[in-house]
Amino acid sequence: MLGRVSGMLITLLLLSGVLSVIALRESSAEGIQEYTPNISPEEYDKRYKEFYGEATKQMEEEGNPADLVLDDGKALFKKVDGGKGKSCADCHGQNGERLKGAATTYPRYDAGLKGILTLPMQINRCREKNMDAKPWKYGTYDIVAVELFVKSLSNGMPIRISIDGPAKPFYEAGKRMYYTRLGQWNWNCALCHVKYSGHKTRANILSTNRHHADHWPTYRMAWQSTGTIQRRIINDCIKNMRVDKLPEYESEDIRNLEFYLTYKANGLPIQVPGFRF
Amino acid sequence: MAEIGKIRIRIPDAIKKGDVIPVKALITHPMETGMRKDKAGKPIPEHYINDVKVYYGNDLITSMDWTIAVSADPFMTFYVKADKAAPLRIVWKDNKGATFEDTVQINPQ
Amino acid sequence: MKEIELSRRQFIKTAGATCVALSVVGIIPGIFKPALAAEEKGEDIKDVLKKHFGDRKIETGHVDIKAPIIAENGAVVPLTIISDLPMTPGDYVKKIYVYAEGNLNPYVAGVALTPANGKAELALRIKMRKTSNVRAVVETSKGNLYQAIKSVKVTIGGCGG
Repeated sequence: MLGRVSGMLITLLLLSGVLSVIALRESSAEGIQEYTPNISPEEYDKRYKEFYGEATKQMEEEGNPADLVLDDGKALFKKVDGGKGKSCADCHGQNGERLKGAATTYPRYDAGLKGILTLPMQINRCREKNMDAKPWKYGTYDIVAVELFVKSLSNGMPIRISIDGPAKPFYEAGKRMYYTRLGQWNWNCALCHVKYSGHKTRANILSTNRHHADHWPTYRMAWQSTGTIQRRIINDCIKNMRVDKLPEYESEDIRNLEFYLTYKANGLPIQVPGFRF
Repeated sequence: MAEIGKIRIRIPDAIKKGDVIPVKALITHPMETGMRKDKAGKPIPEHYINDVKVYYGNDLITSMDWTIAVSADPFMTFYVKADKAAPLRIVWKDNKGATFEDTVQINPQ
Repeated sequence: MKEIELSRRQFIKTAGATCVALSVVGIIPGIFKPALAAEEKGEDIKDVLKKHFGDRKIETGHVDIKAPIIAENGAVVPLTIISDLPMTPGDYVKKIYVYAEGNLNPYVAGVALTPANGKAELALRIKMRKTSNVRAVVETSKGNLYQAIKSVKVTIGGCGG
């Protein structure tokens, strides 16, 4: 009996030791590297360029259909809506001057929500509280357009997500989500984007998770429309894992996951709208 | 759902008289091939831009006929010799009879 | 032991007979197949060129196609067609024809130019059904034809980016 208890104690000690080592690594700069792929972003870029060339990048610079969505977003930003007769521009400046750099800290922990607040949620919260307007349905054209416009105000500014204090458990939850195996294929996010990133799945090169969150909303050729990171995760990644019941937009798990992924892109400049295939 | 027929035409900012300038034009359009099916399994009828005309001043300088094989949200670049101050008008027509057009002013220095 | 052997033979016989029967049945849809196959195959590029240009000779040169070697998505393949032919009022590129040979209908677009364009260059994004050649034919105002051909690989992505 005593032996068993002490055995358990030793196991516990060992476990906590391992966990604290992981936690230590996580908090340091190398820690980020620890959980990023076995190839560097530079190596990934090189492989990508060798395989596909620069056509997509060139198309993004030449003419991105999402630019037109951005224009719509700007118009919606200035449009008066709701019972109070106000528009976004009334508080945030005619061209959104006061929102410059605001998008760099989203998604972020919100004390009122006791969870992660994403940019679309903030937009809808603004609409309900300050404009007395009906909230938009997540993932629809209007809210994507406004999100794109608000994000474009922070173009070129580095993402700086804080995971300190009360946000920490949600970061951990997002990470857990990232490593949770799902669906008929029994895959997790990390399988493709950590273990096999830079390798091929059929004819695609799997991306590294370092660059996943810096360019949304993006025009995707496969959709032939502009969408958010959540649409990509839910309707493509999770669907491709053959998950029976797809999660909802802005559900808790997805928000945590977005938080985790955006933290992975910390320090990278925001570049919207993106253009991907 | 994005609107059909939103247009953006881009020309260089500073144009010298006689320059050959690139004109980049983008229009939102589904360019349905007629070969796809919707979620209910019904074929989506073809719906595509089949005619594009470019006017510089009063002259028709370029006309294109397109088929379903031009990508959705069509983008094109072509060149114009900027030898006069005149509007550049681009007109798109689709197979359902809708017409979309937009104009930019070319003012060579 | 013998019994098992017998039943095994029996099985092979039955299986063989089934195969024969199936292949006979297979012939019947085979009769209807050519019609379907023709529809699936679509137009041949040679026929299309003949329709557009008759028996006129198409020379190589003076035209260049810029396209990715591997297209990430067949629905959006960026093409740039450049010609070094003159664009003077007396002698200019009258029309640029664009073909994707693997498509059911290979003709993609025809672009009629005038000397006011100043330069025979065009960029378009096209759809390609499968890996095939892209062909650009240029017709001059004097009636000469020039062409360029470039192969583009179209991949079917694992997740599609």
